[in-house]
Amino acid sequence: MTQPARGPEPLPRHLHTTLAAHKGPVNVARYAKGAAKYILTGGQDRTVKLWNANLGTQVKTFAAHGYEVLSISVSHDNAQFASSGGDRSVFVWDVATAVTTRRLAGHLGKIHVVEFNDDASVLASGSFDSSVRLWDLRAQNRQAIQVLEEARDAVQTLHVGSTYITTGSLDGHVRTYDLRKGELRADYMGYPVTAVVPTQDSQTLLVTTLDSHIRLMDMANGKLLNDFAGHTNAEYRCRACFGHGEASVVCGDEKGTVWAWDLLDAKALQPNPPPQVHNKVITWTEHHPTEKGEMFTASADGTVKVWRQAEVP
Amino acid sequence: MSSRLKKKLGNLGVDPSSARANESFCLIGTPLPPLEKSKDTGEFVPLWKQDVRDEKGRRRLHGAFTGGFSAGYFNTVGSKEGWTPSTFVSSRSDRAQKKALRPEDFMDEEDLQELKDSRNVVDTTDEMDLAREAAMGHGDDEEQDSVARALEASMLPAAKDSAGARILKKMGWRIGQGIGPRVTLRQRKLQDLQASGRRVTEADIIIPDDEEATKHTYAPRDTPILVVDRKDNSHGLGYRPGMGLNESVGSSRSAAASGPKLSAGFGLGALNDADEDDLDVYDGGVTQNRNRTAYDIIDREEDDKISIGGKARSRTQSNIVSTSTQIFHDGKPVLAGFVLSDKPVAEDRWFPLADIPKGWSPDPKRVWGKENSQQPETQPPPPKSEKWSRTGISADERGSLLGETPLPHAPRSVFDYMSHKDRERLQNIAARGPEDATASTSRSPAAISTPRTEPHIALAALRGGFVPFATNPEKQARYTAYLESQAGSDSPPPPPKPLPGQNIDEYNKELEDYAKAALIFKPLSGAMAGRFTSASIVEHGPQLNEGLYTPTAEDIAKKEAELQKAEEEKVTPKVHAARMGMYGPMTRETQPWQPARLLCKRFKVKDPNPPAEMPADGPSQAAAFEPASATTGSNWEQFTAPSSSGDGLGASTTGSGGPRDLANIGLGEDEAQGRDTLTYQRPAMNVFKAIFASDDEDSEDEGKADGDDDKDNDVEPPPPPSLSVVPSASTTLAPSDPSTAPEVAMPDAAVVDVGTFKPTFIPREGKAKKDSDRAKEKKEKKKKEKALVSFQEGEEDGALQISVKDRPKKKRRKEKKEKEVVDDEESMWVEKPPPEVVKHLAISDVTDLPQGEAQGVKGRKRAIDFM
Repeated sequence: MTQPARGPEPLPRHLHTTLAAHKGPVNVARYAKGAAKYILTGGQDRTVKLWNANLGTQVKTFAAHGYEVLSISVSHDNAQFASSGGDRSVFVWDVATAVTTRRLAGHLGKIHVVEFNDDASVLASGSFDSSVRLWDLRAQNRQAIQVLEEARDAVQTLHVGSTYITTGSLDGHVRTYDLRKGELRADYMGYPVTAVVPTQDSQTLLVTTLDSHIRLMDMANGKLLNDFAGHTNAEYRCRACFGHGEASVVCGDEKGTVWAWDLLDAKALQPNPPPQVHNKVITWTEHHPTEKGEMFTASADGTVKVWRQAEVP
Repeated sequence: MSSRLKKKLGNLGVDPSSARANESFCLIGTPLPPLEKSKDTGEFVPLWKQDVRDEKGRRRLHGAFTGGFSAGYFNTVGSKEGWTPSTFVSSRSDRAQKKALRPEDFMDEEDLQELKDSRNVVDTTDEMDLAREAAMGHGDDEEQDSVARALEASMLPAAKDSAGARILKKMGWRIGQGIGPRVTLRQRKLQDLQASGRRVTEADIIIPDDEEATKHTYAPRDTPILVVDRKDNSHGLGYRPGMGLNESVGSSRSAAASGPKLSAGFGLGALNDADEDDLDVYDGGVTQNRNRTAYDIIDREEDDKISIGGKARSRTQSNIVSTSTQIFHDGKPVLAGFVLSDKPVAEDRWFPLADIPKGWSPDPKRVWGKENSQQPETQPPPPKSEKWSRTGISADERGSLLGETPLPHAPRSVFDYMSHKDRERLQNIAARGPEDATASTSRSPAAISTPRTEPHIALAALRGGFVPFATNPEKQARYTAYLESQAGSDSPPPPPKPLPGQNIDEYNKELEDYAKAALIFKPLSGAMAGRFTSASIVEHGPQLNEGLYTPTAEDIAKKEAELQKAEEEKVTPKVHAARMGMYGPMTRETQPWQPARLLCKRFKVKDPNPPAEMPADGPSQAAAFEPASATTGSNWEQFTAPSSSGDGLGASTTGSGGPRDLANIGLGEDEAQGRDTLTYQRPAMNVFKAIFASDDEDSEDEGKADGDDDKDNDVEPPPPPSLSVVPSASTTLAPSDPSTAPEVAMPDAAVVDVGTFKPTFIPREGKAKKDSDRAKEKKEKKKKEKALVSFQEGEEDGALQISVKDRPKKKRRKEKKEKEVVDDEESMWVEKPPPEVVKHLAISDVTDLPQGEAQGVKGRKRAIDFM
């Protein structure tokens, strides 16, 4: 996080392209891994769509879900991805042939989140039934390796690190399962947790809660490092993320505006308040993993907008 | 696959010709059994084929619950030995004892069971069939004589009576009699006449002046059952089968009746006049129902009908015929069987609404009030006998009230057997008791009457401290006042006055309640009472508000405040801390968690809480905990010693001798024990020689392998005993054990700080190194000569290096060295080998020599360089 003294990069606010083919809200959108030239979106219309972010064209549609799609995770090699939603099973897809290679059933409720581990050998899924199931993708066995049932309410989000798994639940807890230590650390946030995003160094954690606050927590001791507020987020899962170089925090809120804060002093970046860019709640915000000036926002108005820095003529 | 589907799949990017797309999961029908009968006893047999039968074809193996395979002595005939023929026994001497053989004697259990089952003919739930019995009694006399009937009665099982019939029988009723009290002869005659339907005249009821007849009472005649015929034909209304044409018109009856009776038979047309010859001589006037009909009367089933009141039926028939002559007003004849009514149809009567005076409004209260005030005077309650109200009326009393004659089998009272005097005496006694009671209770309802309570009861109730009306203190006070009034002192205080607005009836009732309460809650008698104490605090029940409860704003506010308070109390420190934003130790909970083993494996993480394992399981793992090996060097060096599984272990056990560590647990006291096993995989040197040796190499090997054993030994693990194809990388790096991998990967000369590193040397080392240098030079030379294929570009880790010809040689060399190591283990393996880096340093000197090999200069050293 070595940043120049002038502070974080300004947020890309120039609309590059709009991806609008979903009927109904877009629940989730993810960059592909690697160079991240593609975007996968999942919507209420039960489909997952693959887009070229640069050209704004739709590449493929993955249709097998019987219910809404709530979560997508792309494997490290971009060869497969997993999606989940209302139909209580996790679908693992082959990207090239657009067929599901596995359907992992076992959850008792809709699955809110699904995530691969680093080498796509384990898949973690968190569900409305307040459990997290860890699936083995290497073996043919379709049973979960382990079920984490500590959560008292629906598991809304989770992150699989190299040696730990972090889950966020509506019961207001962020639980970190440390595999190396054999320890479970439960941090009580006080409000329903809808998103957890760790930094690259796995030292801090960005926690989005339904009290219109985003908190930067120290993973080691559970202390609060920074608190970002100003936006509106009381009902929906609005995922906040880090800006480029993890120098800022970006979040789209329920009013359709995209907020950005300086990570260090937690001040909202200009323009404050930001302009409304979506008609409805922004459900997902993600910054490009490597590119400096690119990010996208997915909204309940059925569009995904890719933002870039205004090109200097 | 249809072409459309193909096209669609093609659009989706699925190859329609691939096996996966064409795979069919449909299975239609049951697969046929294999053509040849295989000997496989465990082969699948469809369920419908699984059947066990014995040689007679009967089903055997009746399931697990009825015996299974071993049922009944393994399907023999009832004994362990099977069926044994009995010896012949002459029956000549005891012929009398010889009993006739019955079929049952030849039946086995199954047959007997079958027989038993088939015997259950009569339904045990049969109810009494009165009609049949009646028919049997009356109708069958001609066909069956008394003997036959008796037989039949004895053979047929007795019909079960219904409950009602049983009760009736107990009361003296018999089949065929009517129900009701017995009647006199005159009454019975009257009944008969009424049943016959004739008009009863005085003359009919002439009772024969028979003394015997008047002496007795008779059972009443059975009531005729109204049998309504079911109409199961399709004739029209009023049509009678067998009715002639004229009859059906309704007018010819009288004519036919008046005319001469013709003999029925052939040869007489309908239009023929009747001659005298044709008159039926034998007609005796009995053929009332007989008609000449053109067809057989099938529908007439008179004989089948059971009718007790047959006479009445015949009368209605005659009526039908007679009234069929009636004519409607419009001239149409009335259908047979119908009668013209002489009264017109009654119309519904409507009454006009009464005139309502102007200004009248309904006031039900006024009416009720009037009724209430008038009621006591106008409608005194019906005089109730004290006895009745208490006991109710018995059936006998009710019967006598209604004027019934007592049933003949009525239960007799004890009084019936008493003498007259005794009865009177008893009555006197009985009359006196109720008199007292009636004196107090029989009163004018409007008058205030104070029920009496015995003084001692009232006193006890007072003193007992029992509070029957705890919820209502006012009532309790009145109760106490009442008790005091009844306590029986000389000048008792008056009982409590009726409350204002209290009706007199209500007041009386209240006092009665008090009296009852005092009786019911009779305090315990003295001895028992001493053991109990009454509660000093009177519990008042919850205040109950009458009517619909509407909470006021204050109440709501109070309740909310309470709720809030309760909630605040409930808040745990954790929640409180989170609310305050004091995240940290307060909001963090840590607990142990056991990840699944497979999960650890997938995440490439060591199991945090490994299950207890036998330490001898894997030498490398066991050695990792060896404290002795951690004395010198950096971390990865710990793994060097045991990296070679065989000799490393053997060496440590023999070398250290005394100290017991994890590595030699289980080897026992004998140090040499297990050495054979551990060193087994090393074949004799000459074996290798015999296979691989070529003449020029032998001498070199011998010369080389003199002193550099320990060093090489550390670097290189033993070669695999078999000559499997070893990837070239492993010949270079030789990590048979993964734990050695980091060691080999490490030697990056730039990383190790030479200045701070402290090598540990043993005296022999220097010589060994020199030897190795020498050997290396030799080898390098040799390699230059021999290597045919060599991709030795790689300084990168694990770079491709294929030196095909060299490989067996190297192996051999290694083998030899290791053998020597084993031989002089005792002396060589005293101390830890020098760290890896030392060797690199040493070797870098060598490789820096201008030998014209560019690959050796800049790259990492390979194991082969150290030889």
